Amino acid sequence: MSAAGVPDAPEMVLARYGELWLKGKNRADFEKILIQNVVRAARPYSPVTVDREQGQLAIVPERRVADVARALEDVFGFSSLSPAWGAAKHPDAIAAVAPAVVARALEAAPADRPIPFRVETRRSDKSFPMLSTELDRHVADRVLEKHGARLRVDLSHPELTLGISVRSWRAYLFAERRPGLGGLPVGTLGPVLCLLSGGIDSPVAAWLAMKRGCRVSFVSFHSPPYLGDASKEKVRRLVAALARFQGPGVLHVVPFTAVQERIRDGAPEAYRTVLYRRAMHRIAGRLAEREGALALVTGECLGQVASQTLENLTCIGAAATLPVLRPVLSFDKQETIALARRIGTYEISILPAPDCCTVFQPVHPVIRGQRARCERFEAGLELEPLLAAAVEGVERIEAE
Amino acid sequence: MDPSPIYLDHAATTPLAPGVAAAMAPFLAEAFGNPSSRHPLGVRAARALEEARGCVARILGTAPAGIVFTAGGTEANNLAVQGLARARRRDGRHVVVGPTEHPSVRQAAAALAEEGFEVETARLGADGGLDLDGFASLLRPDTVLVAQMLVNNEFGTVYPIARLARIVRARAPRAALHVDAVQGPGKLEVSLAGLGADSLAIAAHKLHGPKGAGALALAPGARPRPLLFGGGQEHGLRSGTENVAGCVGLARALAIADERLAATRAALAGFRTILAGIVAEIPGARLLAPGGELSPAIVALVLPPPPAEVWLHHLEARGVLASAGSACHAKTHEISPAFRALGFGEAEARGMVRFSFSRTTAEAEVRAAGERLREVARELGGARR
Repeated sequence: MSAAGVPDAPEMVLARYGELWLKGKNRADFEKILIQNVVRAARPYSPVTVDREQGQLAIVPERRVADVARALEDVFGFSSLSPAWGAAKHPDAIAAVAPAVVARALEAAPADRPIPFRVETRRSDKSFPMLSTELDRHVADRVLEKHGARLRVDLSHPELTLGISVRSWRAYLFAERRPGLGGLPVGTLGPVLCLLSGGIDSPVAAWLAMKRGCRVSFVSFHSPPYLGDASKEKVRRLVAALARFQGPGVLHVVPFTAVQERIRDGAPEAYRTVLYRRAMHRIAGRLAEREGALALVTGECLGQVASQTLENLTCIGAAATLPVLRPVLSFDKQETIALARRIGTYEISILPAPDCCTVFQPVHPVIRGQRARCERFEAGLELEPLLAAAVEGVERIEAE
Repeated sequence: MDPSPIYLDHAATTPLAPGVAAAMAPFLAEAFGNPSSRHPLGVRAARALEEARGCVARILGTAPAGIVFTAGGTEANNLAVQGLARARRRDGRHVVVGPTEHPSVRQAAAALAEEGFEVETARLGADGGLDLDGFASLLRPDTVLVAQMLVNNEFGTVYPIARLARIVRARAPRAALHVDAVQGPGKLEVSLAGLGADSLAIAAHKLHGPKGAGALALAPGARPRPLLFGGGQEHGLRSGTENVAGCVGLARALAIADERLAATRAALAGFRTILAGIVAEIPGARLLAPGGELSPAIVALVLPPPPAEVWLHHLEARGVLASAGSACHAKTHEISPAFRALGFGEAEARGMVRFSFSRTTAEAEVRAAGERLREVARELGGARR
């Protein structure tokens, strides 16, 4: 127990999501998936019970509430989160707990001036014997009795707001609102397949696809013996790092050596990289269809390196049978790096392990590739049996 | 000595759990690769290391990138105290350490003082707990590091870290809060998120893991200056080829400790009462219970003369192994600052005995140790008369 009179650890977490745009079945699906994602995110720390009311989830862990609250910051779909303390659903019980919750918040507040303060009640239980504004006043009186010297009431510009959520079985009090991750719950939009190279961009692209509600599986191209296990392990670690945001991810490792050797031996050196990537898109497209993914996701960025000119992106994209989403298309490198750091993939991406694009890398890659020329070169390569064999030989890895 | 002694010195160290030894075994034998090697043996080691990191991160409530494996608690404390203070040097040079810190924190702070940092030590309150108001009054805008242990290794006091963390945020917003949590895991819930701290040190051998393995858990944004430079292992924070077996052992030990936390707490809950009953019968003896919350794993007593040393030897002869205060100070014969902070003098300090338990301690062992203590009291009491 803290000296303030409430247990130091909060009892539960209130998590809010915007609901205005959600109607009917959409909303029910959204909430169902969001709750599944909450249970999954909390699982490493504690079982939780989840209850929904009025665009809020009440998430009650059995233990490690602070850790669950932190894990919820990695769940897409929430606008804000509040660790909260419980009280019996009675005005006096609520007012009895309130000063302790405020005291806890005041410990972290500046002591050299009175803090602008208000109480804000939300009742989902309309049978509660007091109106929200009445309860606000009742509770504020009790808080001011105890902490009047450090607070001044300010309804329009409070720095400290004691929130009260009166729900059907219990009331919850909170003084903190943390920003949620935003976005849409992973799984509310169609599944996608992300081409993962091991670089900095593609994990960020995958994360952005997750943010828009897509469950992401991954495909990576591996060229033994030109590349070793360390390259494969690096990609596996990236998938594992992203599991924080969507749960375990599936990684398809495609044996790509034969395709690369054929292109090396049969096409002009300058076109190698573009032709590799066209082959990757073809293989990924077939895997996506086999796995039920609706689109491909890449970390391609416009104009950043020679192979990413608009002409080359067009050549590469033309080989895809599914839409190609390029969430980092317009990002500056620094923006991508900042996001990669924030989501925890940067440190893995910079580990020294080459990816398959570096195998037989051309000295002077083509800058403005032409689609017709790509097609002409491919006509002589007889890639089809090699692509089919590559899809057949895929290794499926689950990473978390 | 009895072939299987009653070991009640778990705050000093614990035996390796069989499950931990089994998890470590491959990495002491065929899976000997260097995690930095890119061949399959290296990749296997790297993967084991990252799995261990993920496990430790989950239990300590931070991201895998926030775990730095070290050679134990002492190194983790040094890295945090010296490294976090030095990394914030431009923000200020003021450091506050808790009143009863382990030498690996106090001496690391002393090293900072030699570099021009101003180091102050907080004090205990009248009840033997942390004086939070006094602590708050020491904090300043240029305070860059606060170090406060979670569980006192001599008396078992559990200090209110989460409250201290809020006070530190308000009074010293540039300071990192480091917590020496070495006596915590397996006996208390220990999580960075739960404590609100910036860093947290643990040691494997205190929780049935191997010696020579520990970890510093860091909250996002807390990045110490390294103490060891070289190949850039451990996110560049601790160079040196990783002790893979040790890290795997630490992770396994922590996972077992975490799984059994509730059962362990329930099992240990009554041990203090058992010893209290015995102590009540020994004239001049008393149980120490400073501060508010106490760890169920540590019970400290002050016994009447002769000095604790003599009591302990008599207990040893009866197959009971305990310790006089913290084993770390046993060699220097100095009164520990923790004890002095409680207002005790040298005579009482010489009479202090610590019994410490773990999940492997059986109630019957504690009862038997209590009986032996009663016998020794009778024998020594007779000699005094």
